[in-house]
Amino acid sequence: MTTTAAVSAGPVEYIKTVGLTTNQSGRGFINPYDCAFASDGRILVLSHCDTARASLVRVGMLNWDEDYLGEFSPGYGRSTGQWMLPVAIALDRQQNLYVTDEHQHRITVFDLAGNFLRQWGEPGTEPGQMRAPSGIAINDDDVVHVVEQGNNRVQQFTTDGESLGTWGQAGSAPGEFNMPWGIGLDTAANVYVADWRNDRIQKFTPSGEHLSTIGTSGSGPGQLSRPSGVCVDSDGYIYVSDWGNERVQLFNANGEFIQTLRGQATLSKWAQDFMSVNPDESNTRQMANLVPNLPPHYDTPYLVSSQTEPYFWGPVSVRLDADERLFVVESNRHRIQIYQRRQQ
Amino acid sequence: MSNADIALMAHLMRRAGFGASRDELEQRVNRGYANVVEDLLNPGAANAMPDDLIRRFHSDMAEMRELNSAGAYWMYRMVTTENPLEEKLALFWHSLFATGYSKLNQARALMNQIETFRRHALGDFRTMLIELSKDPAMIIWLDNNDNHKGDINENYGRELLELFSMGIGNYTEDDIKECARAFTGWTLGNVEYMSTRASRDSIWPYSRIAWHFEYRDYDHDDGEKTFLGQTGNFNGDDIVDIIVQQDATARFISTRLFQFFAADHVDDAGAAVISDMMATYFSSGYEIRAVLRTLFNSDYFKSNDARFARVKGPVELVVGAVRMAGTYQQPTFGADQLARHTMYMGQGIFQPPSVEGWHEGAEWIDSGALVERVNFVGKELGDPGNPGVQAIINRLARQADGPLSPDAQVDACVDLLGPLELRDSTRTSLSEFAAEQGPADLRADQRTDADEQRIANLLRLLTATREYQLA
Repeated sequence: MTTTAAVSAGPVEYIKTVGLTTNQSGRGFINPYDCAFASDGRILVLSHCDTARASLVRVGMLNWDEDYLGEFSPGYGRSTGQWMLPVAIALDRQQNLYVTDEHQHRITVFDLAGNFLRQWGEPGTEPGQMRAPSGIAINDDDVVHVVEQGNNRVQQFTTDGESLGTWGQAGSAPGEFNMPWGIGLDTAANVYVADWRNDRIQKFTPSGEHLSTIGTSGSGPGQLSRPSGVCVDSDGYIYVSDWGNERVQLFNANGEFIQTLRGQATLSKWAQDFMSVNPDESNTRQMANLVPNLPPHYDTPYLVSSQTEPYFWGPVSVRLDADERLFVVESNRHRIQIYQRRQQ
Repeated sequence: MSNADIALMAHLMRRAGFGASRDELEQRVNRGYANVVEDLLNPGAANAMPDDLIRRFHSDMAEMRELNSAGAYWMYRMVTTENPLEEKLALFWHSLFATGYSKLNQARALMNQIETFRRHALGDFRTMLIELSKDPAMIIWLDNNDNHKGDINENYGRELLELFSMGIGNYTEDDIKECARAFTGWTLGNVEYMSTRASRDSIWPYSRIAWHFEYRDYDHDDGEKTFLGQTGNFNGDDIVDIIVQQDATARFISTRLFQFFAADHVDDAGAAVISDMMATYFSSGYEIRAVLRTLFNSDYFKSNDARFARVKGPVELVVGAVRMAGTYQQPTFGADQLARHTMYMGQGIFQPPSVEGWHEGAEWIDSGALVERVNFVGKELGDPGNPGVQAIINRLARQADGPLSPDAQVDACVDLLGPLELRDSTRTSLSEFAAEQGPADLRADQRTDADEQRIANLLRLLTATREYQLA
């Protein structure tokens, strides 16, 4: 089949790619699931890690110039502070990092030196309890928003883990969820939830009143298939990681479709370093067409992405840094593609 | 419905599937044997565990870089599909067209190959062989990427004739060379880069890039060739056209299907069925569906002689136990262990011991493998908390008007786990064990955990019998 255009016309432009596959500690990502941006310029990347490399679960750190700045991890396991299936991260005003763990139904908190500070959560449906927390976002008042895919709700906490309330239940009506995943906030602290298995984004007031819904099921422009992440810039533009369609979509503040990104990764600085010391791979790579025409039975975005390296594959999360550059975190490609909306 | 009807349906579902619960057997008996055969041969939606759930819960299965991740992904499908024959056939083709991870380092290419098998499993053998020849995993496995115009590599041409279609003794060395010439130019897209990465087991910079087929006209030898007595400017698909017309091919594929689905050993009565399957092969235009229809509807297949005449392969055993136990119906933490267990039993998915696939039959059983088999199945079916075991207990409870005697417990478990046909010595051992446990009162107002555990213990012991190891 002829693969689709890498990017549709629109205001969002590609900048560069960061990251590299690795099988060990140190530079590189292992199934990155989320990122966050410290006020000192550090970019924090959560490596979720697959089963074979679970013990390497960690937060890695780099800067905009792609210098590797180290990593920290409490280790893989069930002990206090440890992670098993971490999904998302967020920073509070004090620059402490909050990590959701969907397997252990809890939130762990660390300072940026990697010191464990506290944790909360246990499986259950009562306030303060959680089931499979996935997305997390913290507003300017340090209200911690946690998406619970298992309880189909959003729960708000203080930074000490005191429950402030919940909203949502299983279903497909406005305000209901089906295995929600990511969460984003706008400048007015409105809450956007990637309602994963309902193929839509739902917008709520800071207190959880339903405001609007974006997207219907499908693969056309403006349609969504299992959206996993959402973020909103200062002009109200909404970026959605359309996970099932292996793409990112841009909507305006009214929820109107603006642009589709399919991915256009290039070699990161770390990837260039790898190629420079592996000339046989580098030489044959230069002969290759990395956006090939594929046989017709590769007929899903997922299969096309598995064969087309520049395309998004497993775009789990979208986040904006302080300069409103868009970071698209790709689990299956172990990298982050970075874009920015052109001011109009 | 009669016990004979249940026993026959259980036999069909063990062979054309992975076994079935009593509720499923009763539903299928009501459909009628011939209708069920047609249902199996004409599958609808599989309704297996959805891919989105699997990929969200298992990042390793989303990326599918690891051997056991791909194996477990396929086992999820086998465990939850409503089209068990589709998966059983994919397993058959995986063993016949054995392709292994050890050389490819590409789990996704192997899983894509299984998808190709599934897509063409019941269609005509010609299409299957052509798609096999285009399959990227097979191209790398048998070096067709090194088969060039003027510089042939015979590996794929040789195995296509020897192991995949006709069998040794039905062609010459010259036929192999001409076959290889016809398949020059059948390679991978970006083959130089992909071959380099495969040889270095490279995951850099951004993980695996899955493979796809590419035909390079400039690298194809379009000269005249003589193959099996016919001459022409043959390309690969012309070669396959000639192969599928051969009696040897009809005998080869019919025999392999017979041994996989009917009996490990072919006796005189089995040989007659194979002749019928060969006739169907030609009359149907090489259609596997039609060949299997002939087999499943044969008197031989339905006879008592054919029952329990095969040793369950490890994948059959594990999937059958999990389906019966009702576990792994949703993405489950640690599911990759499913694939590891079949490897410990001697059948690592995507790890055939050689290009010949697995040696089946009694060779599945040795002392180490048997311990693994018994331990795994016993754990699945010996836990009263598992949904399928609970369903068995509840079924017994509905029929009970008082405590079940030890002998009644044995009768019920033997019946609901099969029905199995036990030797006297096995039966005696089970009865003695049940007698030591004592009666089990399963009535709702009387039942205790100990009562449920007695039934589960009996099921666990039954899975350790010789009889349970047979299909």
